[in-house]
Amino acid sequence: MTAGLLKRHETILAGLTVLALIVLALLSDKFFTAENLLNQGRLMSEVGLVALAMTFIIVTGGIDLSVGSILGLTAILLGVFWQNAGMPLPLAMAAALACGTLAGLGNGLIVTRFRVPPLIATLATLALYRGLAEGISQARSVRGYPEWFFYFGQGELLGVPFQLWILGLATSVSAVILGMTPFGRATYAVGANETAARFSGIRANATKLWIYSAAGFLSALAAVVFVSRVTTTRSDMGTGLELDVITGVVLGGTSIFGGRGTIVGTALGLILIQALKNGLALSGVKGDGTIVVIGIVLIGAILAGAVFDKNRGG
Amino acid sequence: MKTLTLGIVLGLGLMSGTAFAASAWTGGDDLPTSPLACDGTPAAATAKPYDGGEPTGAPDRMGKKITVVDIPKLIGIGYFNATSKGIADAAAELGNVDAKTDGPTKANIDEQITFIDNYITSGVDGILFAANDPVAIAPVLKKALSKGINVVGYDANSTPDARQWFVNQAEFNGIGKSLIDNMAKEIGEEGAFAIVTSTFTTPNQARWIAEMAAYAASCHPKMKWLETVEAQEDNNLSFNQATTLINKYGDELKGIFGMTSVATPASAEAVTQAGKCGTIAVVGLATPNAMKPYVEKDCVKSVVLWNPVDLGYAAMHVLRAVADGSLKAGATSVKAGKLGELQVINGSEILLGAPYTFTKDSIGDFDF
Repeated sequence: MTAGLLKRHETILAGLTVLALIVLALLSDKFFTAENLLNQGRLMSEVGLVALAMTFIIVTGGIDLSVGSILGLTAILLGVFWQNAGMPLPLAMAAALACGTLAGLGNGLIVTRFRVPPLIATLATLALYRGLAEGISQARSVRGYPEWFFYFGQGELLGVPFQLWILGLATSVSAVILGMTPFGRATYAVGANETAARFSGIRANATKLWIYSAAGFLSALAAVVFVSRVTTTRSDMGTGLELDVITGVVLGGTSIFGGRGTIVGTALGLILIQALKNGLALSGVKGDGTIVVIGIVLIGAILAGAVFDKNRGG
Repeated sequence: MKTLTLGIVLGLGLMSGTAFAASAWTGGDDLPTSPLACDGTPAAATAKPYDGGEPTGAPDRMGKKITVVDIPKLIGIGYFNATSKGIADAAAELGNVDAKTDGPTKANIDEQITFIDNYITSGVDGILFAANDPVAIAPVLKKALSKGINVVGYDANSTPDARQWFVNQAEFNGIGKSLIDNMAKEIGEEGAFAIVTSTFTTPNQARWIAEMAAYAASCHPKMKWLETVEAQEDNNLSFNQATTLINKYGDELKGIFGMTSVATPASAEAVTQAGKCGTIAVVGLATPNAMKPYVEKDCVKSVVLWNPVDLGYAAMHVLRAVADGSLKAGATSVKAGKLGELQVINGSEILLGAPYTFTKDSIGDFDF
């Protein structure tokens, strides 16, 4: 439970990531180039954005399985607001972000007001939000967005993919909030022992509502980036996203039982997975082989964490 | 707070409710349809200028050994195993192509894009693809063209300017007609039927369903469409969806269309297990091997498809021809090995041929 032990998982993970980068760079000369690495950053931005909020949620001892569905729903709403409701695109984007936040708030309300376990609550909204996405879209894609809109997903600012700036900014803000503010400490306290946290005067429900809403907001932001990157809107967007996100967060050392976890760990976890996926593909390993390697690394990293910290669960 | 939550749920529910203003059959797309004549008179071909893309700064690959990667919608299903075999056959026959197949294990747009992106970085000479979404895949294919990579699609198209050529296995209106005609023959002009498709947004299926609706409206106007259900390309889900349809509509349901190579055998299995062989007809797109048990038991009479091995084979030959520079914009046909000359249609598409109906007499001759 000491800070020293907490640091340890991230140290192991950082070592593992560096090792993976070196091995992959040796396996393929196409891997360790600025162009490829920046491109990989572009590809991991959507998962990365959602993983930031997921870290907070898992630190409180919760989980949010509905993030992929929120991404799909807000992507569809963006298209529908713009094309069918005739809103100007910037307004449609803002409205989609607002709806995503509301969807997250909905999760938070079910979890806090009705005391439904987060796993069950968000399993239900996973189906609900995806169903709404399919229903609202009438299974039609929305296409033909104006050229300027593609900047968010395909453009570059100072040679770096635009969404990587968004991800970098969001990561810094999240790291500061979780690591250095009273809100961050409240988040840890709620996850470590909710009853004790309540008796210490921490507003546990308000904390959770903020966090689930933020997850909705970031999922919607990821949806905007995703739609811009692939230039079209489909109701099945983001299917399975929750698993990629949770994998990254858990690999990053966040305990599924709550109470600990860091943004740095999540960032490292995501980078390691993305590097493996990309580097193995470049060195000629086929897709099915890559999945196997990632599974092994995940088990290995968690076991390593458990060996160094006997108290660690999950 | 309770009322607020309720309000949100109600509001969202209403939004989806109003969006369900049903028009034609669910699962079709919005694009214009061109149903064929009821008696099958071929439509006059309209000339259209080349509308495909061009790679920038492609090196001279004439006669040189090239590395080609084939990225289908997903790997590990019979259909794409067959196209992959055709690609490998053609590569072996050509002798100067190093071809391999790789791709996602689920039909997922994002994963497919990532696979293509990685192969662009690894520096291949040519990419063959079957798109999970025609528009979503376009940016990454354009990136491949901008790096001088030859890009040819097969099975499922992208927007034309994102690739050079597309090998079209069968025209949509041809498939639509073939499916509806076979169903009408089996269940009669006034029969009611349902459709099991992959997802409402999958481009091929959406196009076929739109063409089927248009053709049925003009040639078999009394046939009754009940419902279209989504079943991804998932075996279990397809079986469950077909079983649900059988239970839901009871005796009214006379026929089921399977729109994917997974949905058709799963629907046939559902009909068999419900003991409805002979009372509910199954017509659909599927690979012969998967359908042989049902066709031999007379549970299924017509399976409509092209030959996917030939499709992969043709795609590989087209890619080689493009890399050699022998297939250029404006060409009217291309030589594809044992398949002979294939015609160019719609500007930048190459037509494999007319769809084929496998019956009890012919299905034994095919093994894929």
